[in-house]
Amino acid sequence: MSSTSQKHRDFVAEPMGEKSVMALAGIGEVLGKRLEDKGFDKAYVVLGQFLVLKKDEELFRDWLKDTCGANSKQQGDCCGCLKEWCDAFL
Amino acid sequence: MPLLVQHPAYFSKSRLKSDLVAHNVALPPAKSKKEVYVELYLKHIDQRSDFSSDEEDLVQDVTVENPVVAEEPDPRDLTDDDLKAKLLEHGVKAGPILASTRAVYEKKLRKLLQSDRHDRVNGAEKGVLYSDSEEEEESEQDEDAESGSEGKSQTVEQLEEQENSQNGDFTYPQCFLLSSRLHVPASRNREPDSKGNALKSSARSLSQNSWIPVGISRSSSVDRCSGVGSVVPPGSQSVSSQAFSITQMVEEMESQRALSTSSNTEGEVNGSNVQEHWPQSDRLDMPVVDEYYTPKASPYNQTMKEPLKDTFKDLLPDNDITPTRIYATCRRPIKGAAGRPVQYAYPETPASPITLERREVERHLVPIHIQIVVFLIVACLLYLIYDYAEDNSLGPFVSL
Repeated sequence: MSSTSQKHRDFVAEPMGEKSVMALAGIGEVLGKRLEDKGFDKAYVVLGQFLVLKKDEELFRDWLKDTCGANSKQQGDCCGCLKEWCDAFL
Repeated sequence: MPLLVQHPAYFSKSRLKSDLVAHNVALPPAKSKKEVYVELYLKHIDQRSDFSSDEEDLVQDVTVENPVVAEEPDPRDLTDDDLKAKLLEHGVKAGPILASTRAVYEKKLRKLLQSDRHDRVNGAEKGVLYSDSEEEEESEQDEDAESGSEGKSQTVEQLEEQENSQNGDFTYPQCFLLSSRLHVPASRNREPDSKGNALKSSARSLSQNSWIPVGISRSSSVDRCSGVGSVVPPGSQSVSSQAFSITQMVEEMESQRALSTSSNTEGEVNGSNVQEHWPQSDRLDMPVVDEYYTPKASPYNQTMKEPLKDTFKDLLPDNDITPTRIYATCRRPIKGAAGRPVQYAYPETPASPITLERREVERHLVPIHIQIVVFLIVACLLYLIYDYAEDNSLGPFVSL
């Protein structure tokens, strides 16, 4: 666990349940607001999008960028977070 | 959108007129029938690009569209299934094309199409580039190979010349003779020339290096050279060349020598049976010098072998001396080893660059003996001072 943030570790530690989208690693207040405006108000909805894109990292990053304007680091953090969660719980 | 194809017959008369005028076609009389205009239209504009332009327009439109359709279908216009199919063509297994995912997949398709176009353009360029570069590379390689081989041959010759000059101090013409004999077969092996050519080539090179044998014969001591040649590994052609010019010197030298075997060497040198003797000598010499023979024979080893000739003679005087006096010893002899006294001065060993550097550095450094002496002096001084301090008297200094 060299470069994961505390947020990442917290998210991956347990099933997400009803956690807000801002609980995702890389998604802060601003990005979270944008996602909520688009209808992705819960983390599991974003997870749904991730799964619909067949867990493809590149596609999900593109989608994130288009949807909420996340930069490369934020994209990577979110993607990695969801990926790890899926590995652990899916 | 493709233009609707319209036969000129369907055009209005005025339109036909204007089209004909536009194409510089002489108008028929004003009151001619439309059919006339149509015919003219078909005739003239058919020949020109316009009529064909209709077709061409069609064609163009089609062709314009086709490439567009083929290369740049606007992903936005595609249906979900078409988009999925297109992505699959590029090897992308797309998931469900939903409202939320469609945008992403369209973006991906655009990226793939762009990369395709770039590849196609680059491929043509690269083909030309690569062919040129290949030719260049090949030519470069050929040149390098040629230069390398030339350089190698030159360096080998240089090395040989150096060694020969070094050998002058303590080597004997016969060595060169014998080595030459050894080289002759080696040269033959290398060159596909006939025996005569090899000898000729060696003779030619002989003339070039004639100065070396002269120097050698004069400087070397006659008594030492027993006419026993060491097995010179097939390597230097220049050495072989020297042998033939040395024959004269050898004759002179051998006349002074007490050894009778030397005469044999001459005869064999002059003869052309060197190659035949070579295997014989090998067979004869192998039991004798088996332990000393090393397959890797560098030209430098020649110098090392000469000093051993005497010792060999001493140790094995009764052995049948081979006609070529070839004793295979490629290994550098150990100084004073195995009860053999150091008889000859060995030339300086080739020093690696590191050794050379070290030597240079050491030259500038103070030698260790002097360092020890200085240290002792300083120690004595300090002891004297300590004594003086202890006694606080001039006693110790008075003694000095």
